[in-house]
Amino acid sequence: MNPIAIAIDSVWHHKLRSALTALGVVIGVFAVVSLLALGTSVKTYVTSQFSSFGAQLITITPALAGSGGSGIPRGRQGGGFSAPPPSTFTMGDVGAIRGVAHVARAAGIVAVPTEVTNGTRMLAGTSVVGTSSSLISMQHLTIAHGSFPAPSSHGILLGAKVAATLFPAGGAIGRPVKVGTTTFTVTGVLAASGNLFGSDPDTTAYVSAPTALGLAGTTHVSEIIAEASGTSQVTSAAAGITKLMGVRHPAKDFRIITATQILSVISGTLSTITAVLGGIAGISLLVGGIGIMNIMLVTVAERFREIGIRKAMGARRGDILLQFLLESVVLALIGGGVGVLLAWLAATIAARAIGIPVALTVSSVIEALAFSAVVGAIFGVLPALRAAALTPVEALRTE
Amino acid sequence: MTTMVDMRGIGKAYGEGAARVEALRGVELAVPTGQMLSVMGPSGSGKSTLLHILGLLDLPTRGTYLLNGEDVSRISALKAAQIRGRRIGFVFQGIHLLPRLSAVDNVALPMVYSRMARRETEERARAALERVGVWDLAHRYPTQVSGGQAQRIAIARAIAPGPDLLVADEPTGALDRKSGRQVLSLFQALHRELGLTIVIVTHDPDVAGHAERIVRMEDGRVIADETVAQRKIAGEEPAR
Repeated sequence: MNPIAIAIDSVWHHKLRSALTALGVVIGVFAVVSLLALGTSVKTYVTSQFSSFGAQLITITPALAGSGGSGIPRGRQGGGFSAPPPSTFTMGDVGAIRGVAHVARAAGIVAVPTEVTNGTRMLAGTSVVGTSSSLISMQHLTIAHGSFPAPSSHGILLGAKVAATLFPAGGAIGRPVKVGTTTFTVTGVLAASGNLFGSDPDTTAYVSAPTALGLAGTTHVSEIIAEASGTSQVTSAAAGITKLMGVRHPAKDFRIITATQILSVISGTLSTITAVLGGIAGISLLVGGIGIMNIMLVTVAERFREIGIRKAMGARRGDILLQFLLESVVLALIGGGVGVLLAWLAATIAARAIGIPVALTVSSVIEALAFSAVVGAIFGVLPALRAAALTPVEALRTE
Repeated sequence: MTTMVDMRGIGKAYGEGAARVEALRGVELAVPTGQMLSVMGPSGSGKSTLLHILGLLDLPTRGTYLLNGEDVSRISALKAAQIRGRRIGFVFQGIHLLPRLSAVDNVALPMVYSRMARRETEERARAALERVGVWDLAHRYPTQVSGGQAQRIAIARAIAPGPDLLVADEPTGALDRKSGRQVLSLFQALHRELGLTIVIVTHDPDVAGHAERIVRMEDGRVIADETVAQRKIAGEEPAR
């Protein structure tokens, strides 16, 4: 009988005890693997969503005077309630930014605080945005019917939900809607797209920027969005914009944020959360390991006679050490295997529940199993050493 | 005639200071190769300690022990384990088979620990079980055989590696009279046919009378050493 067979046999012989001992490792491995899988999947999902949103995008937002520069303002990370500072950006800034090297497109965004109705129906929470067709393409939105309204015209492009609410029977193109008190004609309808981090194109109505400025009675655009000509040009484009804006707005009342910066903050945060959760879960694995050590100490004490017989029959210290070490490794591996299985089950259920793919990677499974084997070995060393150190006479004396 | 066991001034003490107990106080003992010897004595006489030292389960605290000419009085735990596995066979009062192993796996145990080749191990295990007449029980577990059968399996385990010395501690102590006689008969046969050196530790004069020589111990010393004039021969009764 080889040592592994002996270990498995011994673990199998004490089924209930082994199951209870392995349970600690089951819970530990389950917690670590499922939390890491969840964290990794959310991060992957967010990153891919962000890339589709546009990794090349550069956002220029108003800031308090003197703060001018790049990066994400602290106040906004926490989603603070303080109102954004007033904008001093103009359509002239948008035009100038278009001229910066490595900038492919730019569009101003004018938020119009009003409602869109067709006289009888309206969609609560609809926002009206003045911009240009560039924004539609920068945000990878698709126009299902019609087109973006001509500059300065009273045309309007409706988000999918807005169109569906105002014109449930379809055929929105050419129909009149009221924005505030002004009448607009629907020129196009967007395809449904889903939420894009705070702004939902489905519940937005787009008009041309100059028209929006007129409606809002202002000359200031709320925000400017630019797109670099390539992913690798984002940094130089952002630098060019910063320089330009610095000249045009000496008060430095602007802030420039690249998608990469936002992404790195988000993914950094998610990584930290994942690591912290994994670490907390790792503590339960530690507790599982201590459970194994405890039971192995009991096992050794119970089997003094067996150890004595084996030693009398010529077993060396190393033979006894290996036997008990393998037994705790087998226990831990069983726990690890069951834990991985449960984590897989949980990931499958979680993926259905939250609608994003959650998958255990092969490497995470291998790591989890290797880690539980290591836990078994570490916590098995003390009991195994105790068994190996027994002299044959000591071990045989207990009857 | 060579000497299998040569003990000179063997002492064994346990504990320190006031708690110090001297289990052996200078044992002189020579056992010629091929002799069947009994060691007798009341409990506390040191006969069990002597058996442990004889079988290299323990080391003496003083004195010299030559086993087949080799000084083993101060050997390492590893060397002692190697010698136990190959050259010393043990038979215990409590039989001491491992309950989770079949008879043949129990018999193979010392050879597995001696790193003997698998094929040789299997052959020797089979030969030993056949020699003691229980080959038909090879795949039974210790709980599935009688006490007498279990002790035969244990004897097969002791002789399978082809040891120089067989050490038995009250080998009939846990057995009924009939099984006990069978075991003694088996010892005598092994002694006669294989020329095995056998040391049996017992408190039973009847058992001791089956040996060629009886050494009596008391208080950690040898107090008498006599040749058995009228050796008892256990009848070769049919196996089981």
